[in-house]
This record gives sequence, C-alpha cells and structure tokens, in this order.
Amino acid sequence: MNFTLKDTNSIIEGFDGLGYVVDDELATILFLMMKLEKPLLLEGNPGVGKTEVANMLSQLLEVPLIRLQCYEGLDVHSAVYEWNYQKQLLSIKIQEKSDKSETEKEEHIFGEEFLLKRPLLKAITSSVAPVLLIDEIDRADEEFEAFLLELLSAFQISIPEMGTVKAENRPWVILTSNRTRELSDALKRRCLYHWVNFPDLEKEIRIVQKHLPHIDHSLAKRIVSFVQKIRERKLDKTPGIAETLDWANGLLALGASDLDNEKVIQSLGCLLKSTNDIERVKKEGIEPIMEEIEAR
Amino acid sequence: MSYQHASDFGNLKEATIGFAHFVREKGLNIGIRETQEALMAADFGLIESYDTFLYALKSIFCSTEEEGVQFEEWFAQFWGQRKGAIKSRLTIKNQSNIQKKSPGSLVWMGMGDSREDGEEEGKNVSGANKMERLRKTDFSKVAHMDSELLEQLAMQLWKQMSLRMKRKMKLATSQGRIDLRRTIRTSISKGGNPIPLKRKKRVPSRQRLVILLDVSGSMDKYSFFLLRFIWSLRAHFEQIEAFIFSTNIVRITDFLDRKDLEHTLGLLTSSVHNWSSGTQIGECLKTFNEAYAKQVLSGRSTTIILSDGLDTGDPELLAVELAKIRRRTRRLIWLNPLKGMQGYEPTAKGMSAALPELHVFQSAHNLDSLLELEKYLSYV
Repeated sequence: MNFTLKDTNSIIEGFDGLGYVVDDELATILFLMMKLEKPLLLEGNPGVGKTEVANMLSQLLEVPLIRLQCYEGLDVHSAVYEWNYQKQLLSIKIQEKSDKSETEKEEHIFGEEFLLKRPLLKAITSSVAPVLLIDEIDRADEEFEAFLLELLSAFQISIPEMGTVKAENRPWVILTSNRTRELSDALKRRCLYHWVNFPDLEKEIRIVQKHLPHIDHSLAKRIVSFVQKIRERKLDKTPGIAETLDWANGLLALGASDLDNEKVIQSLGCLLKSTNDIERVKKEGIEPIMEEIEAR
Repeated sequence: MSYQHASDFGNLKEATIGFAHFVREKGLNIGIRETQEALMAADFGLIESYDTFLYALKSIFCSTEEEGVQFEEWFAQFWGQRKGAIKSRLTIKNQSNIQKKSPGSLVWMGMGDSREDGEEEGKNVSGANKMERLRKTDFSKVAHMDSELLEQLAMQLWKQMSLRMKRKMKLATSQGRIDLRRTIRTSISKGGNPIPLKRKKRVPSRQRLVILLDVSGSMDKYSFFLLRFIWSLRAHFEQIEAFIFSTNIVRITDFLDRKDLEHTLGLLTSSVHNWSSGTQIGECLKTFNEAYAKQVLSGRSTTIILSDGLDTGDPELLAVELAKIRRRTRRLIWLNPLKGMQGYEPTAKGMSAALPELHVFQSAHNLDSLLELEKYLSYV
C-alpha cells in the first residue's frame, strides 16, 4: 500500500494524485474516521458527490469497495446473508439414505458452503479491510437501521444456525443519506457526521478541470458560475456535480468555446433533468444569469 | 459551574472537556464517548490548526446540518478568533490571575456574558418543558413567536406517528409468501420429502384516508395547522384524498402531491376562493356524496372530518349525508377543535345532529390531540 496515514495533508495529496479534489474539512474528517475507526455518515442533497467519497477512499487505500444500495423493504436476506435453498434441498435428498443423525444432517446443510454472502457479511469476512458503502440508508426501513446498529458498534453478525461471525478486519464504513427522513439518534451517535454541500465556485471549477483537462479555464469558470446561479433557483431537481460535468462535456461536444444564450438553451437538457425545470428556466429567462456572469 | 471561554482553562485537555460541557448546555446531545473522541482527535494533532479542530469536533458532536451551522458559532464563541493556534487561547496557569484582570480578557469575558444572556433565552425556548407545553397549547393561542417551533415539532411528531403506524400494520397480518428458510428447516426431519410449505407474512397495503377540512371563517385559526397535518399524513398513506369545504367543496388531493409544503400552500391559496367564508356543511357533504364518494370511499377507507360544526345550513341534511358516508366507509371520525375547550358541549345544531352518525368524536385543538388519532388510523 502506497498510502500512509500521517496527517490531513497526506490525505489531500493522496487524493490529488488520484485526480480527486478534496477540501480541508472532508480530509480532516476522513483522517479522523480512520484514526477513530468509526463509521462516517454523509448527508447532503442528491448529486453532491457523497457516493464518490467511498469510491475515492477505496482507491486511495487500494482496497475493494463493497456497496450496499438501500431501498424500501431491504431485509437481512438481501443485505447480510441467505441460505442457498436449492443446494440445501438437493443435499437433503442426497443424504436421505445416509445413516447420519438428524442433527448431523442439519449441521451439514447449514455449513458455510451453503451460505450466500451478501454485502454486509462479505465486508465483515473479507481478508483485507474493505470500504463498505451503505448507500442511501434513509431509504431503508427503520428495522434495518436498527439491525445496522449491532453491526456498526460490534462489527459482528449473528447467524442463528452458525453462531456469531466477528470481523477480522474492520471495514471502513461510509453511510450516505439524502435526508428524505431523519435517521435515528442511536445510529447517528455511532457515526461521525458530515453534511456535504455543493462545492463552492473554485472547487467546482477544479473538479471540472480535473475531469476535462482540455477545457479552457474561462469557459470552465463560466459554466460553473452558471450552474451555481441556477442552483439558487427553486427547481424540482437541483443539478449536481455530475450534471455540471455532463453539461461541460456536452458544450465541448457542441464545439463551444464560449457560453452564449443560444448554446445554453440548446444544451439545457444536460443540466436540468426535468421538463418542468427546463420550461421554468426558459420562461424565467437565462439572460439575468448570463449578464451577471458577464459582469464578473 | 459554567465556563464560557477557552481562556478559563489551564490546559488543552481541560479546555476540550470544558467545550464539550459548553455545547452540551447549548443543547447538543453529546455524551462521554463523544468527549473522549474529541480528546483523541486533539491527540492526533488535529488541534494544531483552528480549522481542522473545528471540522473534527463538528463531525463528532453534530448530527444534522443545522447543528453544524450553529456549532461553528459556538466554536468561535468558545475558542475565539479564527487565527493563530488553538493553544494560544489558553491561560497559562500561573499567570491566570493577572491575565484575567487585563483589559483584553475583561472585554472577552464581558462579551461572553452578554452573548450568553441571549443564548440562554434561546436555549429555554428549545428546552423540553417548552416542547411539552407547546404540545398542549391550543392552536389558536399559540404566540406568533412559537408558531414556527410548533410547526417543526409537529412535523417531527407526525412523522414518528406515521412510522409507528406503518410498523404496527406490518405485524398485524399473517399469510403470504413461502418462507424457504423455515420450509427447509422442517423438511430436514422428513428427509426432504414431502416438503411442508411454510409461509411468511407480507406487508399489507396501507389503508386509504379521506379527509374533509372545514376552512370557514370560524376555523381560521386552526385550518392552517390542520392543513399541514393533512400534508404530513400524505406521505404515509398509500392513498389519501383531501377536500376543503366552506360554502362549497373543493378537492385538493392534487395540490398535496407536492414535495414542498410552501409550494402547496401557495397554490392552494391562489386557486381556492372559499377560504374564511360561511359554512354549509350539509350542502357540502351532499356535493361530496354525489360527485366524489363513489370514487374515493371504499370499505377500507377511513374518513376524517375536521370541522367545528358551526353550521348555517340545514342540520337534518347534514345528518342524512353523514349517514351516507358512514355506510361507505370503514370508520367515520369527526375532529372538532372546540371540543378541547373546557365546558364545551356539542350543542350547536349541526353538531348535535351529526353525533349519532359518528364512530369517533374527538378534539383537535392541539398537537397531542392530533397525535391521539394514531390509534384510529392504524389497524388495531
């Protein structure tokens, strides 16, 4: 592993080498997270790059990323483990004639070879400590959240038929939430907390330039300024960083070297992903924004 | 004993613990573990710069965006200006007597105190007692100052209530999909043949809710909150139909289908013209029965009428129409804000005509009374 955890600067430099832009605050928190070995809860609007943090971290530490996408109705069977029922049934059949006792048979079919590991169990039994991303935890049910508590404090999972599995290597856990509902205090208290905001102008320009190295600095600046202005409006879906990148890419593809009203209108679909929003912005007009950018 | 500024302490460890006390008093929910972690963070060298120490403590102590914003203020208040190292803020022990008298720190202390006064008020407002009281305060008597707070509290409690309801429903049913796990367990003893099927329960669909809200003049003080109540219920019922009525009835279900409450309220006020006029409950219910009842009422729906029952129309018509609704619905609930008043008797002509038709007659004048609805809205 190339990366050694010295101080927050080593994190910023490490990410910079991988082509990611990280601010002091996030670097400090990641540092703390690794030092304290605590899970990190990231909250923020959609599109601010919460999931990306886990991605970045796994690249930095050069460990696998294990991802659990939460949804309503997510249960232990799809998150932690499930028995391989087909195999179990077959095995029962095969053993039908054997003179093993019932307990022995039962022990056999609830052995490890019949166990299907889902993300959480995988993360705990992994031979190197992976980055475990629990994405959009706010979408999962309360019950599942309660279950996570056990996992996040003790890093162990109990399987009734097998006993308790304890983590050999504690995974680095990152949870994200869009805050569609408030998470329980108990869960929050087990995590470090970070509210992820949309990046400021300067940071977003750097992100755009990292992703699109050929883009002209002044064009990047104008694109980002425009996006930041449009975020201030009331929209159904506020464009995130991904949209900024899409749009910058789109504009480059159109051969734009500068931002003008016509091109903006043409390519608005890259930035705004709902008809309502596009119509609203068209109706309200983009001229005021353009003028403001011009004036800078 | 309470310390307000880093200069009250002799070393970093004490100051950090002091700061933990300081923000706990401000209302942050932090325990010993958080304090320990803060000390560890300081040990890791994060205390070297103001910013990293701020970021580190913020991530440990806060758990919402709003707390984070306030925390930065508190942090500045306690540790002082944003330049120089944190260490320089402490009073070196043997100098402490002299330093405290120096004009510089006197000014600081003074500032600390005056700020504290302001904060103290703020803290009391968000204290538990205040919350308890607000829950019991009649909506019409809530001071303007508190209404925002009440709204926050209400949203929070309603959310919890709907969640609880959801959970109850999950437990309530049997039957459903095959539970392979249990099936296999039991089939071991039979050698795998035959296979007795075990089933597991499914989450039943949420019930349908129909709400009729009176927005006539006499309800003015309540309808605002009740509308919010309806809006917050919306998220947790598969199907919710809402109507408002005064002299005529308007379906507002489509307006509710918005993520943003302010937007909903804005749309409502601009497109509904019968706010704060007279009341003709009977007439309105008649229109409701003729135009909407077939679509929206079914055996599994619960109907809630939110009205004070002060009616200028014909009470007999009201009774007849209510009976019609009652026949089509699982449960008919009338919530009357006036019922919360001491000595209230449902003697208004309309109300007394309606009473025999109702399954439930309840008050709806404060938060607690609305929360009580839970027992009727969940399957028992």
